[in-house]
Amino acid sequence: MKKDRKKRLFGVLLIIGSSCLGIGLILYALNSNLDYFLTPSELKQSDENVVLSSNTRVKLGGMVKKDSFFINENKVNFEVTDFEDSISVIYEGLLPDLFKEGKGIVVLGKYNDGIFYADEVFAKHDENYMPPNLELD
Amino acid sequence: MFESTLRTLIVIIFLSSVILFTSLIKNNNNSQSKVDLNIPLPEFSLQTLDSDKKIKNENLEDLFILNVWASWCITCRVEHPFLEDISKTIPIIGLNYKDEKNNATEWLSKLGDPYIFSLYDYYGELALDLGVTGAPETFLVHKGRIISHHIGEVDQKVWSAKFLPTINKINND
Amino acid sequence: MIGEISHFLAFSSSIVFMACFVLAFFSYSSNTSSISIFVPKIFVLGSLILITSFLLFVYLAIIDDFTMAYIASHSNSNLPIFYKVSSIWSAHEGSLFLWVLIISLWGLFFLIFRNHSTTTFYPQTIGIISLVVACFLLFLLFISSPFERILPFGVPDGADINPILQDPALAIHPPMLYFGYIGFVIPFAFVTAFLLSGRFEQFPIAEIKSFILSTWIFLTIGIALGSWWAYYELGWGGYWFWDPVENVALMPWLAGTALLHTVYVSSRSKNLIAWTIFLSIIAFTLSLFGAFIVRSGIIDSVHSFANDPTRGLYLLGMSAFLVSAPIMLFVKNLSKIFAVNRVKDFSKEFFIGTNNVFFITAVFIIFLGISYPLILEAFSDSRVSVGSPFYNKVFAPLTFITSLFLVFSTYSKWSREIPLIEILKSSASIFALTILSSIVIIYFVNNYEWWLIGGIFFGNLIILRYIALIIDSVISKKYFNQGSALAHIGFALLIVSISLNAALSNERTFSMSVGDEVKFNENTIEFDNISLQKNSNFESLSADFIFSNGEDTFELYPEKRKYFVRGEITTESDISIKPIKDVYITIGEQQSNGKWIVNVQENYFVRLIWISAIIMSLGAVLVIRRKIYV
Repeated sequence: MKKDRKKRLFGVLLIIGSSCLGIGLILYALNSNLDYFLTPSELKQSDENVVLSSNTRVKLGGMVKKDSFFINENKVNFEVTDFEDSISVIYEGLLPDLFKEGKGIVVLGKYNDGIFYADEVFAKHDENYMPPNLELD
Repeated sequence: MFESTLRTLIVIIFLSSVILFTSLIKNNNNSQSKVDLNIPLPEFSLQTLDSDKKIKNENLEDLFILNVWASWCITCRVEHPFLEDISKTIPIIGLNYKDEKNNATEWLSKLGDPYIFSLYDYYGELALDLGVTGAPETFLVHKGRIISHHIGEVDQKVWSAKFLPTINKINND
Repeated sequence: MIGEISHFLAFSSSIVFMACFVLAFFSYSSNTSSISIFVPKIFVLGSLILITSFLLFVYLAIIDDFTMAYIASHSNSNLPIFYKVSSIWSAHEGSLFLWVLIISLWGLFFLIFRNHSTTTFYPQTIGIISLVVACFLLFLLFISSPFERILPFGVPDGADINPILQDPALAIHPPMLYFGYIGFVIPFAFVTAFLLSGRFEQFPIAEIKSFILSTWIFLTIGIALGSWWAYYELGWGGYWFWDPVENVALMPWLAGTALLHTVYVSSRSKNLIAWTIFLSIIAFTLSLFGAFIVRSGIIDSVHSFANDPTRGLYLLGMSAFLVSAPIMLFVKNLSKIFAVNRVKDFSKEFFIGTNNVFFITAVFIIFLGISYPLILEAFSDSRVSVGSPFYNKVFAPLTFITSLFLVFSTYSKWSREIPLIEILKSSASIFALTILSSIVIIYFVNNYEWWLIGGIFFGNLIILRYIALIIDSVISKKYFNQGSALAHIGFALLIVSISLNAALSNERTFSMSVGDEVKFNENTIEFDNISLQKNSNFESLSADFIFSNGEDTFELYPEKRKYFVRGEITTESDISIKPIKDVYITIGEQQSNGKWIVNVQENYFVRLIWISAIIMSLGAVLVIRRKIYV
């Protein structure tokens, strides 16, 4: 009987312990995998304060700077600006259908040594991404 | 002990989710228009539906309504009679959005034309700069600055709540 | 006129369904069977009226009645009939109409296919289903009506449905998914009726297990179809994006999968009853939550419908109202429900119960991923989003541990404690075999990421274990649950294919002009030509690429399309399908120097992902067909 109770207690402790550990790990993973949405000037600032590690994924939003777009060795280069600061972006892949200089853009990727390496590029108001409001209210 | 903890946990999770999402809807409601107000109307140079002459910012009136519409947009059709009404009180400029010229002209000749003229924005360039997400959308522009914005149909209710007070204030000043 | 009749019929059916609900609950208190006989009859009446109403609406869409505002906005006279019909569920109001219809159809299925000799709570179950139908009907009729007219005259040709939605997979994806989502209304209603009855000694859940299984099949196929569509249509070459709207479909699927297993236990050994009740409520709650997320517009996504706060508020209020009673009853009677059998340690029930914890954890993780950015954005300045790295990192270990417990459970016995040591001993040979085969595979893949090693190992473990079981049953001619084996092998294949896909797939972007030749892995790709083609509702730039390697040559034709009606530009990928890999090509913009951006991908085992989903569903079909469930 006593052995049985001991076993039960052990089981309960095991459950509590592992669930605390589990929740802790999940929250840790969540916190370290958030994609922060920043503008170029915010990103430059946070870089000076070393808030972001080079592994943090960032969503950088702004305008594609006029005359900054060129292609070099299959890699697309352009600058994203918020009219205060601008950041050079390098991207390998297809640009969305609505990509254009002087238009709004969101790029997802990592910021390293002053250059933003984009994994994905979304045009703002890209209708494939946000369908227009066509509803009758 | 176990049961009462579980009981409280379930009830708390349930109630807090309901409260959370109610507040999120309210929050979302406030930020419905994603366009910044009191910013200058973006620079543009577009043809109108009925002439090839390009219209630019400096050709515009002091105070006017800019209405985004298209012949494929059903809500625009619903909104149309109301625009005809208010066109008697304030100039309305149309922004014909991603539309075929023929369809648009036919639409106006069939239903009536409340617009002084309609800018023809086939590629949605000005619309993109304005942050338009679809049609219809309506902007109030005063001295080259956007001061009100509404997504979706404008009817009497929206008009008296969102636009009329501002217009009256400007007219009184 | 037909539009008004359809509207009127929908309205009348809402009254009939409400009457049905009220009557069903009279039958509780009066306890007379005379009333309860009428309940199903009234339900059938209401459903027939609703079905007629829907069919009339379909008819209006087919004959292009563009005085109906909804049809005018979402259909076009040039569309083939198939898309005219599917345009009904391409936007909020019409898809809600379909949604309501499907709830009542599930009610009808329940009446027709239930086990007629034993069903205990069926009038009350039907009553609760009626209540759900009525709530959604009120929403349909008064907040998002598809029956509005634009008078005096309609649009000559209608609008156009969004071109990326003009696709066969996408046309059948919503109905499938809705059947899957909404099927959980049956366990929900059944369990609610059970809780309301107050008689907890008997829990006849076995009566509805085939409904749970068929719901799960619909949901699995529906999700797989959506993933397949996203793969070939969106032009990104991915099959799952952890998009919020994909996630809300995955949540009821996870809860439903857990439910499937506990129902198995509860109907057999009267164990895990609390779990079964809880999961029945949760699975349906999550379906409602999905409807809320998609339709309230609080999240921007490829799938979301337009933004309207009243809709969100009504849906939230309605869901809370429908769900609160069973949750409160469940919580109140916890001790009575718990009073039944205790689960023996390391018995089969024990492992299934433990895996339930993991399934619920998975649901919780997704819920967290959806709501955390919303909360942060609402209450602070920072804007964040939770992307795929989070889900991938958290889901991989969770899947592995679930797989491990699954394999342990195959060594355990019903209602009998087997020491863990015994289980480990008897599974040693399978583990050894798995390690060997995994080493071989990983060596060939030549990638040593932890998730790949885990995925290959646990996938192999399950497959080998079930193969051993199959061989065993053939030799000993013992009874064997083939459906379950097939479904679990499907699950293992899913793990393996996802891991291999992530490890092996690769892509390159080139900048090419016509006549250029590039090397990509073993292929030489030649840009043969590009031309402008006119079609009935779009014009397209169609390119021609010739792929050649030592063994064969094939051509692919990716396109860029511009649709006339709304001027939308879409990118159409082209795919060459081979047994182990797809070659996937898309073209982008033309640059100022005249070159085109071309993206080429090799996606390994991506077909196997969807095939696994089909195998899992087939397994479930076998289980349903077997009738006896134990």
